[in-house]
Amino acid sequence: MAMTKQRAHVLPQGMTMSEVLDPGVASTAAAGTDRPLPSPPPPSRAGSSPAALATALLGAAALAGCGGGAGLNAPPVTAGSGPAPAPAPSAPQPTQAQAARFLGQAGFAANSTDMGTITSTGYQRWLDNQFAMAVVKPSAWSWVQAQAVKNTQAYLDFSIWRRLISSPDQLRQRVVLALSEIFVISTGQLNGVTDPASLAAAFWDTLEQNAFGTFRQLLQAVSLSGAMGSFLNMRGSIKVNPKTGGQPDENYAREVMQLFTIGLVQLNPDGTSKLDANKKEIYTYAQEQVTAFAAVLTGWNFDLAKGVAQADDPGFATRPMVNDPTKFSTGDKDVLGTAIPASVDGPTALGMALDVLSNHPNNGPFVGRQLIQHLVSSNPSPAYVSRVSAVFNNNGKGVRGDMRAVINAVLMDPEARTAPQGLANGKLREPIVRFVQWARTFGLASPEGLWDIGNLSDPGSRLGQSPLRAPSVFNFFAPDYVPSNSKLGDNAITAPEFQIYTETTVAGYLNFMQSVIQYGLGGGTSGSVTGSKSSCTPNYAGELTYASDPASLVARYNLLLAGGGLGADTIATITDAVTNVKVDSTNPNPGLNNRVWAAIFLVMAAPDYLIQQ
Amino acid sequence: MHIGKTTDLQRREFLRRAMIMSGYGLAAPLVSTLGLVGAASAAGTPTDYRALVCVFLYGGNDYGNTLIPYDQPSYDAYSAIRLTLATARDQLAGTVLKPSVALPNSRVMALAPTLAPLMPIFNAGHLAVMLNVGNLVQPTTLAQYKANTVPLPPRLFSHADQQTEWQTSGPSSVITGWGGRIADLVMGANTYPTFSSVNVTSNAVFMAGKKANQYQMSSSGPVAINGLSRTIYGSSSVPSALRALITSPRNQWLEQDINAIASRSIDAQATSSAALAAVPPFATPFDSTNSLAKQLQTVARMIAARKALGAGRQVFFVSMGGFDLHDSLAAKQPGLLAGLASALSSFHDTTVELGVANQVTSFTASDFGRTLSSNGDGADHGWGSHHLVMGGAVNGGRFYGVAPDVSVNGPDDVGQGRLLPTTGVDQLASTLGKWMGVSDTDITTVVPQISNYSTRNLGFMTA
Repeated sequence: MAMTKQRAHVLPQGMTMSEVLDPGVASTAAAGTDRPLPSPPPPSRAGSSPAALATALLGAAALAGCGGGAGLNAPPVTAGSGPAPAPAPSAPQPTQAQAARFLGQAGFAANSTDMGTITSTGYQRWLDNQFAMAVVKPSAWSWVQAQAVKNTQAYLDFSIWRRLISSPDQLRQRVVLALSEIFVISTGQLNGVTDPASLAAAFWDTLEQNAFGTFRQLLQAVSLSGAMGSFLNMRGSIKVNPKTGGQPDENYAREVMQLFTIGLVQLNPDGTSKLDANKKEIYTYAQEQVTAFAAVLTGWNFDLAKGVAQADDPGFATRPMVNDPTKFSTGDKDVLGTAIPASVDGPTALGMALDVLSNHPNNGPFVGRQLIQHLVSSNPSPAYVSRVSAVFNNNGKGVRGDMRAVINAVLMDPEARTAPQGLANGKLREPIVRFVQWARTFGLASPEGLWDIGNLSDPGSRLGQSPLRAPSVFNFFAPDYVPSNSKLGDNAITAPEFQIYTETTVAGYLNFMQSVIQYGLGGGTSGSVTGSKSSCTPNYAGELTYASDPASLVARYNLLLAGGGLGADTIATITDAVTNVKVDSTNPNPGLNNRVWAAIFLVMAAPDYLIQQ
Repeated sequence: MHIGKTTDLQRREFLRRAMIMSGYGLAAPLVSTLGLVGAASAAGTPTDYRALVCVFLYGGNDYGNTLIPYDQPSYDAYSAIRLTLATARDQLAGTVLKPSVALPNSRVMALAPTLAPLMPIFNAGHLAVMLNVGNLVQPTTLAQYKANTVPLPPRLFSHADQQTEWQTSGPSSVITGWGGRIADLVMGANTYPTFSSVNVTSNAVFMAGKKANQYQMSSSGPVAINGLSRTIYGSSSVPSALRALITSPRNQWLEQDINAIASRSIDAQATSSAALAAVPPFATPFDSTNSLAKQLQTVARMIAARKALGAGRQVFFVSMGGFDLHDSLAAKQPGLLAGLASALSSFHDTTVELGVANQVTSFTASDFGRTLSSNGDGADHGWGSHHLVMGGAVNGGRFYGVAPDVSVNGPDDVGQGRLLPTTGVDQLASTLGKWMGVSDTDITTVVPQISNYSTRNLGFMTA
């Protein structure tokens, strides 16, 4: 605690948090690492080592990004510059591999522009740029509305894949994906809705709009979203009805506490459970408190005028639910010991309840640890969780629950920025993230603009995971999952994503990627609704140049896909295989294409790719 | 049908086949992920075949409308509590249960109307109804519950935690389940330990053992990795590189564990798909639009392939979801139960067709029961619930346990009709484990809390 408090108050006057965090973290991250010299465009690839080559390959792009990048308000800071109005980092900028590794945590893909920004101006500048980006239009909901056919769930899938793959704000998209796996809704399980695709798309927009605001704002936006109201039944929950015997529905009251805000047991700031005198966990609430809280969450429904059908006012999906005073519970109420007097109305009571939940000491470790697990590593140290909790409690300016600051702290923590050593470090990249990384890295495009990539949930033939389609509010995997009968189980190592890594999904993923890498998808190959040939195709035009030199090809994908994380044995195995893919000198392109596909496929199958360090 | 000890000959045969199947002989990394059986097993070496099938109903099935009080006083009480959720009494005439042992106090119960396909199985004595089963640490009275004088299952009324509790019979931190622990003890009867614990749906801790892996196959069977078996991207070197990458032993633990899963996927698919391909089609139809039926059909095919797979004792897991009916309970639960009944009856009929009805026992499980009182359109999270046990070895056609009082805040509930269980899941598990061949001594390994009970065998299995 002492350490975290110190950190929370360490901001010198007049300095932004990013200015403070960047140099300190950069010095930690860069310690003991090689930094390539500012890279002149290489004359040729011949004779280059893989690492140097990879650096060189992106050199031109890096310089372009540094020179002409929109939104850069300050010149790049170079190592060794003296005291200046803007604080100078005391450490070198990230290497290409470090930048790629960072983008695997903070985004999806290591595209050349983002790599250039990071290698020339540092992680923090890239984060600041990303945080500053406005939500990209048209939103997921607006896009669905613009389609000729709307009321099929497939358009939800199309709309979200479009956001994840083509939206330039990759930090926001990555964070929203993580938030969608904490504040879970499931498109196929929205109750009493005529157009689930639109309602679910609007939920994605809600997360986008609130991802970088405060936790309190995010919590309220989620709680009053039509999708959450429909999924967890707060919509339509009404006061005790003596005629029907009806009681307020307890579902949202329970899950908003258990899964979205505080969890079941009291936590220390470092994420470990508090224990009582008998060494037992201490519950945060009991059944009676769920029942009492349920009375507070009554009277809510979609914002639709009386008698107006959902289809006649589709904009209701974008509006918070509204409270009907005649259906709001009467009498005094209580939320975890905080009294809510009978005199306050439904919206005020909800606000008071959310104040209680968002000021609980569990928030920081509960939410912070899950964000770390989604973005960085499955087993963060208690000290790391503690540092993030401290930022949750106070962003340095006295603001609690500043999600931008929390996300910044998650990504800029020394434990995130230092490539970890150790047998149990890292995390399994989740299938959606692998697929979106591939799509972004190789410019998957939908010329018709339909993005008809369907529901990829099938475990035996697709990803076994698809956005906004978790099987329940408990997400695709649990944050505390430990696989049994394994190295991880023997050592009690948490590995959430392993819950969906099975004998079936390993085959489903490989088969899916083998096809998709070569042919693209949509339009009949993968859950689309139209057409007979792939409508979404990758663009490998720029890749073929590298394919004549298998070592450089593999080095390129080691950097772009694996963040430089492949071991020498893996690189050798893949390079040998790619070398053996024949290229006909008179008609080289088919062979070169084969090499590109093979190299991508094998990298994306490799254990040292799948486990992100 | 006879599965004896694993002999040296079988062991050599297995190795030979594994090498052939893996395609490249002794250099194969992790070639023996299917494992080999130690000759000596604590469970002995049974000569027959037995399979246990857990049918998990995710979300918490509503007990109140699954097994409905039918005698007039009880029905009236039920109807007064459930109001708009109540099933009309005249719809129950066809599913009134006439048990071989009558319930006390002239109580009569009926299955939900859409469970009608199970009536012939009940009437033939192959389906038993377990009354008010649920998670407990030890037998618990309402007074003890209210006074908080005995340990209770942690995190009551929470989906994930009560699923875990049901499946592990222990605290949430436990990473093995009692199905997997039964598999640990009986896997000596199997040529391929990998097929001791076979999960045909998504990951479930129930199936994880200390030694037994939960082997997962899709609802249509094992999935082959296409990239290993063909020339891909115009090259035969890519498949061999792929195999090396995904099966090589690794130092890093996460990498090692995913490669172990991939290796098992490859080996088990090669073995089981060949055996499954030789299984003739069933005469019994399964509803191809019913996910649970599809899963159970695959289980039935695995059972039909038991000789080819050298299987003597197997635990299977299937599931269906959608039971968390806080809303629309009266509208949606009947359809879910219809799907359950259709799938279970097809499965039972298939075991009869295969001549193994006496050797296959299925049972339902769920997160928890729900409140008896209505929230207007549904019911909220509860505790104890009624469940089904089905199979030729079941002493069925009757109830087991205590029929709960039909009331709210009555003698058997902890509020709103949340039943305080009168039979512990540990007792159900212990009875089933014993049938699978787990010894009286070893059963405490399967369900440690059974030592808190005087009755370890509920008597619903005939042998």
